[in-house]
Amino acid sequence: MNTSAPARLAVDPPLRFDQLLRISVCVALTLIPLVTSLPLWVPITIAASIGIRLNAAARDRRPPPQFLRLLVSVLAIGLLFLHYHTFNGPTAGSALLALMAGLKLLESESQRDIHIITLIVFFLCLAALLGSDSFWLLGYLVGVCWLTCATNIQPLNNAKSLIGPDNLRHSAVVFAQAAPLSLILWLFFPRFDGPLWELPAASGGAQTGLSDSMSPGDLSALAQSDDVAFRVHFLSNPPTPSERYWRGPVLSDFDGRTWRVSAGGSADGGSSTPGPFKVQGPAYRYIVSLEPHSNRWIYVLEWPTQWDLKEATLTDEYVLVQPEPVSVAIDVLATSYSHVQAVEPLSPDLRLRDSRLPPNRNPRTRHLAEALRAAHADDLGYVQSVLDLFRQQAFYYTLNPPKLGRESVDEFLFDSKRGFCGHYASAFATLMRAAGIPTRVVTGYQGGTFNRFADYWIMRQSDAHAWDEVWLEGRGWTRVDPTAAIDPQRVEHDSSDVAGVNDAQVSRWQRRTPWLANALLRLDAIKQMWRERIVGFDQRSQLKLLAFMRIPEPDEQKLVLVLAIGLILALLGLTWAVHRDFKSRPRDALARAYLSLCDKLERAELPRNAHEGAETYAARISAARPDLSAPITALCGHYTELRYGAAPHNVSTAKFAAAVRALTIK
Amino acid sequence: MISLTQAASNRIRAWSARRHGQDALPAAVHRRRLYILPTRYGLMLAALLLAMLIAGLNYNSNLALAFAFLMVSVALVAMHHCHRNLLGLVVDVDADIDAFAQGEAQFHFLLTNTSAASRRDIEVRCREHHCMTAAIAASAPQVATVTIPVGTRGLIRLDQFELRTRYPFGWFRAWTYVQTPLTIYVAPSPSGERTLSRAAAGYANAWTESRGDEDFAGLRGYEPGIPLKHMAWKVLARGGEPAVRSYSGLSQSPEWLEWALTEGLGVEARLSQLCRWVLDFDAAQRRYGLRLPGVEIPPGLGPAQRGACLRALAQFDMAS
Repeated sequence: MNTSAPARLAVDPPLRFDQLLRISVCVALTLIPLVTSLPLWVPITIAASIGIRLNAAARDRRPPPQFLRLLVSVLAIGLLFLHYHTFNGPTAGSALLALMAGLKLLESESQRDIHIITLIVFFLCLAALLGSDSFWLLGYLVGVCWLTCATNIQPLNNAKSLIGPDNLRHSAVVFAQAAPLSLILWLFFPRFDGPLWELPAASGGAQTGLSDSMSPGDLSALAQSDDVAFRVHFLSNPPTPSERYWRGPVLSDFDGRTWRVSAGGSADGGSSTPGPFKVQGPAYRYIVSLEPHSNRWIYVLEWPTQWDLKEATLTDEYVLVQPEPVSVAIDVLATSYSHVQAVEPLSPDLRLRDSRLPPNRNPRTRHLAEALRAAHADDLGYVQSVLDLFRQQAFYYTLNPPKLGRESVDEFLFDSKRGFCGHYASAFATLMRAAGIPTRVVTGYQGGTFNRFADYWIMRQSDAHAWDEVWLEGRGWTRVDPTAAIDPQRVEHDSSDVAGVNDAQVSRWQRRTPWLANALLRLDAIKQMWRERIVGFDQRSQLKLLAFMRIPEPDEQKLVLVLAIGLILALLGLTWAVHRDFKSRPRDALARAYLSLCDKLERAELPRNAHEGAETYAARISAARPDLSAPITALCGHYTELRYGAAPHNVSTAKFAAAVRALTIK
Repeated sequence: MISLTQAASNRIRAWSARRHGQDALPAAVHRRRLYILPTRYGLMLAALLLAMLIAGLNYNSNLALAFAFLMVSVALVAMHHCHRNLLGLVVDVDADIDAFAQGEAQFHFLLTNTSAASRRDIEVRCREHHCMTAAIAASAPQVATVTIPVGTRGLIRLDQFELRTRYPFGWFRAWTYVQTPLTIYVAPSPSGERTLSRAAAGYANAWTESRGDEDFAGLRGYEPGIPLKHMAWKVLARGGEPAVRSYSGLSQSPEWLEWALTEGLGVEARLSQLCRWVLDFDAAQRRYGLRLPGVEIPPGLGPAQRGACLRALAQFDMAS
C-alpha cells in the first residue's frame, strides 16, 4: 500500500521586486524624521543597500553573497560603536536599528524578512517619538506604519499594481478599528510619576533662554528670537502691562563689564530663603507652561507666594528654582502678588554684596554718581534723578547697539548712548551702587503677546528683559525699570523690547500682517492645547478625567478598573465590528421586512418553502388559514409590488415594514 | 527540533480528532474548532510591544505611549481579523480523482465564502502539501488544488486536512482540522503497446442520444445542488466561471477489456496495459467493461465507469 509521499518542506516564496520596493519605501519613509540625528554615513549606507538589493531584484539576481553581507554588517556596526561608544540610549539605539533595517533589506530573500523589517520599522518609529511632542510626527509615523503593515499582507499573485489598493484598504480597516481601543489604553493606562529607571536623556534640541550672566557690551542675539519661552494662562484677571514682570535669574556680581549670578544665588544651588516679607496688592493666579531650557529657574510673575511644584523653592533673591534643570516642558500653577514689602532690614552680608563695585572700573560713571548723590541725599530722589538723566539726555533704544570695550558702562553712558534693556539696567545699577544703594539686576521676561483665541499669553525669547531692584529703606526691594524711562520717540523701530511699556499686546510682526498674525496665533493656540492636553497628560490628568466621569474618590485602583471595563467594552465592540459583515444578512430594508414576515409565519408553523414566491406563498396560507388570508395576501401583494413593480408604488417600504411589525399571528 | 514540532503537531491533530469526531462534507468552520496562536513574528512583536511600552513609560513620553498603544491595538485587531478570516468558511472536497502511480494526485477543495466580506490568504494543507488561495470574494466559491506526488499503485488515505491562514499581517495563525477521510485510488501508470483486435472497429456503430449520465456533451454553468463530481475543475482552476460537465448517454456495442488479453506480461505490466486501454476507450467515447480475476465491471461509459475501472485496477490484489 502506498501511504506516504516524499515530504516537501514548505518554503516561503522568494520576494518579488515590487514587494522589495514597497518595504524599501517604508524603511526610507521611517528614516526621514531620524535622518538629522544620524551620522551622515548611516543613511548613505542604508540607501546603498536598498539600491543594491533593488537592482539585484530588478534583474532577477540573488542578493550579494553572504560573506560580503556579513563583512559589511560587521564593519558598519563597528563604525557605529566607534561613533557613539555605546548602543544604549535612543540616539545610538535608533542609529543601530536603522542600520539593521538597511542591512536586513540587503539580505532579504523571503516574506519572513519583510516581517522582521516591519518590526524594526515599528521600533524606529517609537525611537523617533520618544523625544518629540509633535502632532505631525505622530501622524506621519502612524501613516508609515499603516503602509508597512499593508506590505505585510500577502500580495495577490495576480496583482499588477505596485500600491496594492486592496492591501492598503485592509490595513486601513485594521488601523481604524484599533483607534478606539488604543484611545482607551492611552487614557486609562496608569502613568508613573517618574521614570522607571534612569536612562541617558532623550536627545534634546538646542535650548535657548536666559543665561546666568549678562555682558551688555557684547552682542546679543537673544532678543531677536521668536522662540516661545513659556505660555501663561491667567485664572484671575491679568495684571496691567506695567506689572507683568516675569522673574528669572537675579544678577548681583559685577566685574565692571559682566553681571553674573552670585555664588550661592539662584543658579548655584543655594538653599537660602528670602527673609520674611509681606505681600500686598491684588493676587494673581495663573498657569505657566514652561518650554524646556537648560537652567533650573522657573519663570513666575513677581512676587510669587504659592506654586504646585514640590521640589521648587524660593531663593533669597525671590527666584523660584528647582533642583534639576527644566529639561522637559512643565506646567506650574502659581499665585503672585503685585507688591512685596520686606519686614526686616537688609542683612549686612547682602547689603555688602549688592553694593559692591569692582574698584577702579568705570571711573567716569563713579564721578557722575558722586555728583548726583551730592545733589540728592534722599535715595528715592537720587533714583529719580538718574531716571531723569536717561529721559532727558539723548539716550536711544536699539537692538543693534555698537560694541563696547572694557569700561562698558562708561562708554555707554558718555559715548554711545545707545543700547537695549541690558545696557540701561547695567548702567543704572552701577550708578546706584556707586552711590551706596544696594541694587541688583533682574533678568526675565516682560510684555508678551496675548492669544485672544485661547486666552493665554505667549512669552517669546524676544520678550526677554532686564531691569533693576533697589533697596529703599522702609520699602525693601523696589523694582525700577530704567528702560521704561526712555522717551518713546527715541526708540528705534524694529524692536519689541520696550513695546511692553507702550502696548504689550502688539508685537512687530503682528502690526505688519494682521491676518498672518491671527493665523499664527490660532496655530499657537492649537499647539498649546496639544501640549496641555496630550503631551502633558499625566497621572493628575487621569484622576481629573475620572472625576469628570463622576467617579467618586478617583485613585489608581479605580483607574485600572475603568481601564478594564473600557477594554472589555472596546473588545466587544471590536468583535461586533469584525463579525458584522460575517453574516450574510440582506442589506436592503425591504428584504429584511419580508424575511421578518416569513419568520413570523414560520413561528405560526406556516414556513415558506424555498421555491415559493410571495404570491404562491400567500395563496397557500389563504388556503390553510382563511383567517389570515386578507392581511397576508395584502402584505405579499405589497411586497411583490415594491420588489418588482414600477415606481411610483402605492405603499412605501417603511409602511410595509411597519405593517409587518404590527402583524400578530394567533 | 523539526521532529519535536512535528510530534507536537501530531498530538494536536490527534486531540482535535478525538474532540470533534468526523465531519460531514461540506463542512463549515465552526468557532469551537478554530484555533489561533501567534506565529513566531507575533511573539517577536509581543516582546517588541512590551519594550515599546516600557520605553514610553520610562521616558514619560505620551506620544511614544500613544504609538505603542496603537500598535498593541493593531495587533489585537489583527488577531480578530485572522480568526474571522476562517470562521464560517464552507469547504467541500472533490473526492473523485484519478491518479496514476509515479504521478501526482490532486485534491480539489471548494472553498465557499458565505459572508459579505471577502477572505484572503487561506491555505489548504494535506500532510505537508499545501495550496494558497489569494482571495475569496464574498459569496463566491474558490478552488484550491493540492497536489500530492504519489508513488506506487494502491490507496492513499488521508484522515483529515487543515485550513490555515496568517492573514492579515502574519502575526497570528488561525487553523482548523477537518476530520474527513479522503481517499485516492492510485491506478497503475498507463503503459503498454498491445492493441485490442476489435479496437479500431467501434467508431462506425450507430449511437442513439438521450440526456443522461454517460457521454460528455459540453459545459454548462454551475448551480447549487449539482453533484460535485460533475464539476469542471480544470476550467475553474484556470480562473473561469464555475462550470459542470454535462453528459448525454449513448448506446454502443461494448468492448470487454480482459485480464486474459494481457497474457505473457508481469502483474503490474498487465495492470498498466489495462489502464492504458481504459483511458483510450474513455477518450474515444466507446463503451467498455473490465474483467479482472474475481472482478467484473459491466460495460459502460463516462466518469463513473472510468472511475470504477481505475479503482478496480488500483485495488487489485493477486492474492485475493
